[in-house]
Amino acid sequence: RGHRGVATEGAWPRVAMEASELWVGFVGAGRMAGGLVRGLLHAGKVPASNILASAPSDKNLDAWRELGCRTTHCNLEVVHRSTLVFLATKPHILPGVLEEIRPAVGSHHIVVSLVAGVTIQTLQRLLPPWTKVLRIMPNLPCVVQAGAMVFSRGSNAGDEEAALLKSLLSSCGLCEEVPESYIDIHTGLSGSGVAYVYLFAEALAEGAVKMGMPGALASRIAAQTLLGAAKMLLETGEHPAKLRGDVCTPGGTTIYALHQLEKGALRATVMDAVEAATNRACDMAKD
Amino acid sequence: AGVLAAHKITASSPDTDLPTVSGLRKMGVNFTVSNKDTVKSSDVLFLAVKPPIIPFILEEVGPDIETRHIVVSCAAGVTISSIEKKLSTFCPTPKVIRCMTNTPVIVREGATVYATGTHADVEDGKLLEQLMASVGFCTEVEEDLIDAVTGLSGSGPAYAFTALDALADGGVKMGLPRRLAVRLGAQALLGAAKMLLESEQHPGQLKDNVCSPGGATIHALHFLESGGFRSLLINAVEASCIRTRELQHLADQEKISPAAIKKTLLDKVKLESPSLSVASASKVSLFTNKSKKN
Repeated sequence: RGHRGVATEGAWPRVAMEASELWVGFVGAGRMAGGLVRGLLHAGKVPASNILASAPSDKNLDAWRELGCRTTHCNLEVVHRSTLVFLATKPHILPGVLEEIRPAVGSHHIVVSLVAGVTIQTLQRLLPPWTKVLRIMPNLPCVVQAGAMVFSRGSNAGDEEAALLKSLLSSCGLCEEVPESYIDIHTGLSGSGVAYVYLFAEALAEGAVKMGMPGALASRIAAQTLLGAAKMLLETGEHPAKLRGDVCTPGGTTIYALHQLEKGALRATVMDAVEAATNRACDMAKD
Repeated sequence: AGVLAAHKITASSPDTDLPTVSGLRKMGVNFTVSNKDTVKSSDVLFLAVKPPIIPFILEEVGPDIETRHIVVSCAAGVTISSIEKKLSTFCPTPKVIRCMTNTPVIVREGATVYATGTHADVEDGKLLEQLMASVGFCTEVEEDLIDAVTGLSGSGPAYAFTALDALADGGVKMGLPRRLAVRLGAQALLGAAKMLLESEQHPGQLKDNVCSPGGATIHALHFLESGGFRSLLINAVEASCIRTRELQHLADQEKISPAAIKKTLLDKVKLESPSLSVASASKVSLFTNKSKKN
């Protein structure tokens, strides 16, 4: 049950074979956990039958059973039967849960917390001292394998564990290891950032509707525009300012529109948003 | 810049008391109060009067314009066709070039564009380009872009001076002596401009290169963005361009009062440093306005 990654220095663990032997547990089965598990399953890294999720009620668990995962109402059972344990509870519930599962946590476990605002320091304090702890901040598009995730490791988590996590979760999107201080920034940029994009998409579509286009069509086109632009950014590796300039023919429509955006100080407003969310994440972590 | 010997340059102005006049004389430029003399002794004629005066100058010197002359107008908003129309009553195929430059030609870092008229040849354009390239950047454009150039690089130095004044204020506020603040601010802009001109990179990338995460610069930039810095600059270029077009429209209608003509004085005069040098074959003329002698 539950082999650990055998990694030589600098080499990836043999994840393909090993992920299928990996027993993965989720304590908490909410939206974020659901996004991750869908990504894992879609990538075929871990069979559904190797996944066990716990939640207080069946409300969320039904969806997991439909995916082929096993479910329970017992958090301890998840810890007993898994090697890789994702903590995905609401922040205020977590301390109680950790106290509950603490006796069952061993040195073979890899504990990965998705819980917003709970620091590695807190996790390590509430778990046995030998526990391998990692903290991850994903975002919702993990559900469609286009997520952006950052993670940091605790004192006992080594290269193997980091490599395993990265390898597993790359199936859900971009997954990068960072210093823990970046996690709140990631929240402001990408965790909440998804909502900024939805807002922008809505506004784009509304503009089109004002100009006479039906709403449903406008929404689809707005989404595709964002997708396409993002794809070009990622694939060309060019600076966004350069790509912006490429679209602007002299005296053309685009530069007229951009002028309007600049007049509205869109850039500063977006910077303000990222800052506000990041600061809020920091404040919440302190609570 | 050493492309022309001073004695091959002639300038005229009705008002001989101006400091610019004595400055020119000191350089060894030939000076006269007669516009006609200037035309006769030149091959390349720069018209450097205020735009409303152009029609009157053209009326005056029209009879003396010959086919060898290249008439270069630097007057903002004055179209090639308006000049050609005026001159065609005197000369069937006048060579006209319209150019837009800016004040830093004084320090040989000008930004100049030119558009050639109906009868100006490629060589004529190239001659002007050679002359103006000696005092900075010079390139040919389609005439319909000249108003935009006015908004950008014609007025541009004023935007820069305003920025520099404010930057210096910022420095003074934070404790720097004024002279040092001005010097450093100017050098910062000069250096940045030079980096951009010599780099393949987009200014956005160059900006990023200066902004370390969570550092001083990004904090400052946030302020600029909050104030709509970018849009202000876009607005400025647009306003200058639009105003240029308005002035052109007014000029086309030749709406100028006689009083205004009397009041106008010596305007932008091209200055080129004198030296004995290999020069182009043509002689350059500097026109200034002419006030009606009543």
